[in-house]
Amino acid sequence: MTGGAWLCLLAPLGGTSLITLCGTRIPRVAAAWIATTSVFVAFGGAVWAFVSLRSQNGHRGEFTTAWTWLESGNFHAGLQLFVDPLSTVMMLIVSGVGGLIVLYSIGYMDGDDEERRYFAYISFFVFSMLLLVEGGNLLLLLAGWGLVGLSSYLLIGFWHERPSAVEAAKKAFVMNAFGDATMALAFFILIAHTHSLSFVSGFGVGLSPTAVNLVALGLLGGAAAKSAQIPLQTWLPDAMEGPTPVSALIHAATMVTAGVYLIARTHFIFEQARTVELIAAGTGALTLLVAGLIALVQVDIKRVIAYSTMSQIGYMFLGAGVGAYSSGMFHLMTHAFFKALLFMTAGLAIHALAGEQDIRNMRGLGRLMPFTKWCFLAGALALVGIPPFSGFFSKDSIVASTAALGTWYGWIFWVCGIAGAFLTGLYTFRLWFLVFPGEPSPFVREHHHKHHGREGAWTMLVPVGVLAVLATVGGWLQWSPQWHPFSDWLEPAARTLAVAAPTNTQEYYTSVATVLAGLAGIAVAWAIYSERKLAIPAAPFWRRTLEHKFWFDELYDAVFYKPTAAFAAALRREFEEPVVLQTGPDLGRTTLETGGFVRRIQTGLLRTYVLFLAAGAAGVVLAFLIAK
Amino acid sequence: MLGPDVAWYVAVAAVLFGIGALGVLIRRNTLVVLLSLELMLNAGNLALIALSRHWHNGSGQIFALAVMAVAASEVCVGLGLVVALNRRRLSLDVDTLSELRG
Repeated sequence: MTGGAWLCLLAPLGGTSLITLCGTRIPRVAAAWIATTSVFVAFGGAVWAFVSLRSQNGHRGEFTTAWTWLESGNFHAGLQLFVDPLSTVMMLIVSGVGGLIVLYSIGYMDGDDEERRYFAYISFFVFSMLLLVEGGNLLLLLAGWGLVGLSSYLLIGFWHERPSAVEAAKKAFVMNAFGDATMALAFFILIAHTHSLSFVSGFGVGLSPTAVNLVALGLLGGAAAKSAQIPLQTWLPDAMEGPTPVSALIHAATMVTAGVYLIARTHFIFEQARTVELIAAGTGALTLLVAGLIALVQVDIKRVIAYSTMSQIGYMFLGAGVGAYSSGMFHLMTHAFFKALLFMTAGLAIHALAGEQDIRNMRGLGRLMPFTKWCFLAGALALVGIPPFSGFFSKDSIVASTAALGTWYGWIFWVCGIAGAFLTGLYTFRLWFLVFPGEPSPFVREHHHKHHGREGAWTMLVPVGVLAVLATVGGWLQWSPQWHPFSDWLEPAARTLAVAAPTNTQEYYTSVATVLAGLAGIAVAWAIYSERKLAIPAAPFWRRTLEHKFWFDELYDAVFYKPTAAFAAALRREFEEPVVLQTGPDLGRTTLETGGFVRRIQTGLLRTYVLFLAAGAAGVVLAFLIAK
Repeated sequence: MLGPDVAWYVAVAAVLFGIGALGVLIRRNTLVVLLSLELMLNAGNLALIALSRHWHNGSGQIFALAVMAVAASEVCVGLGLVVALNRRRLSLDVDTLSELRG
């Protein structure tokens, strides 16, 4: 069991090292296949760990420690993995979906100048995420957390000759560093109070209320930054500057899901700080609405999908925040399937149109790319949550668990969830109706080209096909009112709180409401963008607000960047130039002047020196006599 | 106690020291400067021995022996320098030897 975990963790790292060490001695295709193989080996390790954990009674989880990594006083942190139901689920998702995405990149990145670097980075990314989910203590989790930030920085800025990509990479890194810092502060408090960061059951119990609230807030800050929740969401849309498979990896298998995993993993702490946990849920509810609204006006195909990710992660936060950890994790899994699928089909479209990403130019693409069209439709229906596609099963239980709370905020969350379902239907099918049906536009006719008579290389089509199947049937694993093996599996690691366990009635009426809301969204999108029966509401102010993403970037620019830049400029003007820059020449000049004065004493005449000596001695004698 | 009072000895020592110091300050011949230095050292010795006798304390005499050893070595170095100067046919006038002027 632990062998599987180690294999899963180390295989991608081995892949990265191999590609890096071989350098240009191996052909590009070999680098690509090394990366793919290493991630699939990791998936094999994850399956091994999963199967052997399943065969254990009670599957409580097991620690495996390679060696003591850090030791300081009575604080120990081992290089330690933790194999339990929660981490095996994450391992399977990360390495499984990650492997499909790496396979897809073989076709997508074909012919890029720096393919080897890309594949070294991408398997390093998978390694970082696996370290994050497998780490047996919060310190290793933080190490993985930081490495995920690093590798996302490297991959978002992969096309480093584009200034916008470099900017986006820096932005992602800085926003994530903020979250890393709050998490580190939370860990310091934990260490100070409990002397341990290990995930032994019930860790973090017995803290004072203030301490536990602070710790939970710090963890929430880290989770919100990594998962792009308000107010730390601004990096996510810009991260679309990276290659499309990277977007798929960031959004589906790795990175943004880390926040949800963190909440589920540290639920002991969050449950003691219930207010903070509900703040997490509120953040999720707010984010899912805001992201859904912004997605309505985006014209870049990848950005629409990026905002849908933000919105769906909002659902996961909502679920994990109210205490329905397994529902949040289940949505994380189905989301990984359909979001990777959506990004990959978008990548097929972008590839076929020679890099075009503006959906206003893409009308009628479905006629030329039927496979892409149907796969995208499967992903879109799963995203909206139409049965029997996977999103239906996972999203509805999250919304139902807010109804189970029965409190006033529970009902606000419920309404947000339903409204979010409507928005999801609207923006997803806006994208669908603008891009796929109808007669191909002149732009599409002019730019569309086939890849050897197919819609893409087989390495791209196979993962898309597999994920289309998974996005369709992946949700059948669990339908909370009737069968729930997923929740049962996760129960030892993250048991759903009793207050957030919905009754079957709540499940049913919530399902009806979300599906109706989703269908209504689809219908409105159809009326506006396909039949043109409804005009797009003319509300210039709101439209501008949405196009500016609620002015978050402008706000941060005004609140953080501009004052800092002005302060720095003032410091340069008032301090650096007059003080620091002047000091050096001043020092030199003063030394020269003093030296020029003192050198006159050095006459070279013996008698002068003797005179000074004698005078000095006489002075000393006089001083002694007077003092006496 | 035999002989004159200790104050006389000290006075003679002071006079000798003053003559030596003046010699070092005023004379320009290297050899005479060295001689004057010896004079100052011996003035010191005289004072040490006189006071040692006065206080019935042997330390002063030991000190005087040490000063003699130092004086001997100093003369060695000094005369060595003079010989070296002479060999290079440099002037023995200390005022002309002022290359270290700042």
